[in-house]
Amino acid sequence: MLYVELATQLRRLRSLILLALLVALPVLAGATEASKAGGRGGAATYSALNFAEGGLNFMVPVLFGLVVAVFGAILGGADREWGTLRYRYVQPVSRGRLMAGKWWALVICSALATATFLAVALLTGIMIFGWHPYHVSDSSDLSAASATWAILGAAGYVTVCLLSIGSIALALGLLLPRSVEALGITVGFLIGSAALDNVSAVHDIIVILPVHYWLRWTQLFGGDASQLLPGLAAQAAAIAVAFTAAYLLLMRRDPAA
Amino acid sequence: MTDTVAVAAHGLTKSYGHRHAIEQVTFEVERGQICGLLGPNGAGKTNTMRVLVGLSRPDSGTARLLGQPSRLAAGVLTRVGVAIDGPAFVPHLSGRRNLELAWRAGGRTWPPPALEESLQLAGLGEALGAKKVKSYSMGMRQRLMLAQALMGAPEALILDEPANGLDPGEVRTLREHLRRLAERGAAILISSHVLTEIELLATHVVVMNAGVVVTAGRLEDLLGTGAYEFEVDDVARAGKALRAVAGVRTVTAHGQRLSVTAPGCSVKELNHALVSAGVGVGSVRATRSLEEAFLGLVGQDDAVR
Repeated sequence: MLYVELATQLRRLRSLILLALLVALPVLAGATEASKAGGRGGAATYSALNFAEGGLNFMVPVLFGLVVAVFGAILGGADREWGTLRYRYVQPVSRGRLMAGKWWALVICSALATATFLAVALLTGIMIFGWHPYHVSDSSDLSAASATWAILGAAGYVTVCLLSIGSIALALGLLLPRSVEALGITVGFLIGSAALDNVSAVHDIIVILPVHYWLRWTQLFGGDASQLLPGLAAQAAAIAVAFTAAYLLLMRRDPAA
Repeated sequence: MTDTVAVAAHGLTKSYGHRHAIEQVTFEVERGQICGLLGPNGAGKTNTMRVLVGLSRPDSGTARLLGQPSRLAAGVLTRVGVAIDGPAFVPHLSGRRNLELAWRAGGRTWPPPALEESLQLAGLGEALGAKKVKSYSMGMRQRLMLAQALMGAPEALILDEPANGLDPGEVRTLREHLRRLAERGAAILISSHVLTEIELLATHVVVMNAGVVVTAGRLEDLLGTGAYEFEVDDVARAGKALRAVAGVRTVTAHGQRLSVTAPGCSVKELNHALVSAGVGVGSVRATRSLEEAFLGLVGQDDAVR
């Protein structure tokens, strides 16, 4: 079912537009900053690694979250909107296989979004700013090798973070009549979480939300990497709750719909 | 050993709230038979088919396909072709791509064994691979749905209104194709509102009304010898008299006319029963079309049995 879900969703116009945006954003940003190479345009213009790190900072949480929320919502709701669910069951595809297909498709879409953006950002950065050590203001630079590992670690961490919001969108896609409604609520949750993150009055609520921990990947660039562990635990909890809800919703959904 | 009964419904009952969608539905379709499932809107045909293919769980009763219990996503469905509740496809993919994904979804290797034959039936030409399904007409989608149901060379077919949206030539081609499949041993259960089509195609019929099976059996038994229409002067008394005759299966009234199904009785015998009961018989007509038989069976307001 993974093949079927990917073949079905990745060829949609909206998916192609989103992937094209993930390619175009770092290229456009690099082209805009090309004249400031060598650190004249801020930290991001020192090296390809700085550029990629800066791009990740720009994308997390809202833009990446939006992209993966789109994938999650359509993976959850498309079968019902097209009426194809009954034909999946008579192929026959069990609910377990159906859910597993959607879940792994979401994992791949999340990883693809992160990898596509970072790969293009690194390539653009190499061509425009060159391959140099990662420059840190007021501190010693990170070697290119250390910074590369940090970028890869950040990509993995961000992918897990994106899976949490994608899982929520998937569950809402299964719950609500239309994918666009699931997407709207997920994006509202994402933006609301990000906006409230620095409001001390709601701190006790914010710390249980997965988005609160999303920016901790920056600790991989010379900070305290152990701070990522509570972040990973929060994402795992959110994914577990959302996935369980999604499965229960699929169990309750009319198979003939 | 191959089970001759390919599709079996035994005492199927399904309710939604207080409303019985189907109640004690029982019939069987054997290999080589084409069984028409007939009934007015809301009779329970689609609900019965949903239960048979596992899309709906019955409150009681059992459904079996090719000798195995039917349930949601049951393995036996790999050997069954299903077209139910109309066509449904991924709109931004071509017809061929849709067929491929549907086939692969079941964990099977593309292409299916009867792909070419079913594509020939669908007759979609270049549109099959070149055009997205969202640009297809209703008839094209219907033919694609039939190709999807048939491409696996199924041993049993459950087809819900398969002729919807097809032109007369396409209906004829479909009819011939289904006949060939039945001749090869496939069991076919087909629901339709087009009674003339069922009359031309089916070997057996199941007639449903208000969620229950009104009659089930060979089409020729329903239409041929033993099907009569009487014009009488006292419908109530005539109905009572006819019901008392051994061999009479159904008696339904339409105004002053009574439709009688009595395969084991002669018209003379029935006429004698009526006259003996003091009923005046204006006319009697033997044999009838499926439409007449159907309307006789499901005539609602004035049915006497």
